Amino acid sequence: MDIQRLKPHFPWITLLVLVIFVGLNDPNFLKPANLLSLAGDIVPLFIMALGLTFAIYIGGIDLSAQSMANMITVVASVYLASLGIWVALLCVAIGFALGMLSGFITTRLFVPSFISTLAVGGLCFSMAQWLSGNRALNMDAAERDALFGWMIGRTGIIPNELFLAVALLAICLFIERRTTLGRALKAVGAGELAAAASGVNVARFKMLAFAISGALAAVAGLLFAVKLSGGAPTIANGFLLPAIVAVLVGGTPLTGGVGGVLNTAIGTLIVAVIRASMLYFGVEATQQQMVFGLVLIAAIALTMDRSKLRTVK
Amino acid sequence: MTRFLTREAAIRWAPLLVLIALVILFTAINPDFFAQRNFARIAIAAAPALMVAIGVTFIIVMGSIDLSMEGAVSLTAVLFCFAFLWLGGTLAAGGWLAIPLALIVGGLIGLINGLVHVKLRIPSFMASLAMGFVGTGAAVLITGGDIVRIEDDTFRALLTWRIAGFPLMVYVVVILAFLAWFIQNHTTLGRNFYAVGGGEELAHASGLNVRRVRITGFVLAGVFYAIAGMLQVAKLGQAESVTGANFMFISITSVVVGGVALWGGIGGVWNTVVGVLIVNVINNGMVVIGLPDYVQDGMLGLLVILAVVLSTDRRNISFVK
Repeated sequence: MDIQRLKPHFPWITLLVLVIFVGLNDPNFLKPANLLSLAGDIVPLFIMALGLTFAIYIGGIDLSAQSMANMITVVASVYLASLGIWVALLCVAIGFALGMLSGFITTRLFVPSFISTLAVGGLCFSMAQWLSGNRALNMDAAERDALFGWMIGRTGIIPNELFLAVALLAICLFIERRTTLGRALKAVGAGELAAAASGVNVARFKMLAFAISGALAAVAGLLFAVKLSGGAPTIANGFLLPAIVAVLVGGTPLTGGVGGVLNTAIGTLIVAVIRASMLYFGVEATQQQMVFGLVLIAAIALTMDRSKLRTVK
Repeated sequence: MTRFLTREAAIRWAPLLVLIALVILFTAINPDFFAQRNFARIAIAAAPALMVAIGVTFIIVMGSIDLSMEGAVSLTAVLFCFAFLWLGGTLAAGGWLAIPLALIVGGLIGLINGLVHVKLRIPSFMASLAMGFVGTGAAVLITGGDIVRIEDDTFRALLTWRIAGFPLMVYVVVILAFLAWFIQNHTTLGRNFYAVGGGEELAHASGLNVRRVRITGFVLAGVFYAIAGMLQVAKLGQAESVTGANFMFISITSVVVGGVALWGGIGGVWNTVVGVLIVNVINNGMVVIGLPDYVQDGMLGLLVILAVVLSTDRRNISFVK
């Protein structure tokens, strides 16, 4: 058995092993209701990771995703009353535009993406603080339930978030597999110079990748705001690390080009199971960050394609 | 050639001119800005940030990046406090031993950073970002989310004892900045940072042990983060898991705004000193002239982009990631 041929299968094997391992230790874990609610709880994180996948797929990174989601919780809370259902459109448009801005700064101004997105994240944080007046905001519960109630709650035993997640996953999968954009992104991720040489408008597609990342981070923020019925400038802090981990353990390496949104779905489930197992084994919530930091290093080390980097800086 | 020369000159002098212009601007809007008390306030705010920024300067000169500072500062600050209290709770009674201890811990964090980055061949921004998360996590773990206080007058003298209006910590930081400059300009290690940053493959071909230089750089940065951690404790009188929060954004911004190029080899400690002053003058000035403080992060974001754009020679770059 060649390890390179097995490599694409690592993520779901890891997931299976983890589920069985936790299941053996705690049979309650394997009950469908528990598994479903586990999956439902992770959906905001999944949506953010889904967006990040596009940024990482082209060999970049989007460190603004968390600040974006933070800001969107505030935007959603502030404008729900005046805009009604259209607030969703506003959120996605803001996310898309700011993602586009990150992409523009990266591709046209030659600022590395981790700096440009960090800077755009700073902008988001300022805007969130300004809009919220540095307070935690609440949504009008009746209005939220009427307009966005369908996002949360349950149909049978299935959390409604899962439908949203599956729908977004399907859209992203379609973009990735069946559109020019998807193929172009793969080309850029696999070899940017070669893609540019064969006539692909690399800059435009990269900007779109960052825009999608921003838009999905906004959706994640919106869902989070609906779930918590409010927003604050730091409410989604703690999302960025697990979201990056989800993308990487799913099998989309930092160097880009392989993997994709389906991998991220598996990666997010791995994150969910790791989280749940930490609870079962009595690892406190405060230690999760450490564990995920170490998992992140391991995941990068295992997935990265070093032949693409002449020197590792 | 002329263009090259002006470019060099611009990178060298532009940050300083910006700093002077900012001081004049804020003074013109509100004369209260130009007062010794206010300068002391800026200096106190800038002191720990300068130590973090100098640490990361060495790394950026090598063409790498270190994003672990938030975790490293929090962890060293927390461990320093615990060690300080355990050793007697006063500087005289043995608490001074906590200082070398914190420096060693900082160095160790840097060592792990460097080893993960070099041995596992992981890009430094991701290796150090992950290590930063681990550091913050460890600080949360150790404190259990609590605040650790230090109430030793001798140690707090760093903040309270003023010479010519400026607290002791400012002088300590100035001395350490000179030390950093000495390391950068007058030691083999310092010159090697520039060799690696200027062209890694050339440095390697000339027989330089690039990997060792990189790891040593991260260790050095870690030691400076530990100093920053202790200064934060001296400034606030306490440490907790968020003691290092926001240092990542501020320090990277400062270094870049000061004119240290992100791809390595250009700029140095003095650029960073100017950059830290620019960032802190802006932060302070915006408050003095009455702008709300939430504008700061956005301003810094714009500033860092502007600085990278201005310092990038676009003819030499085909693409960035």
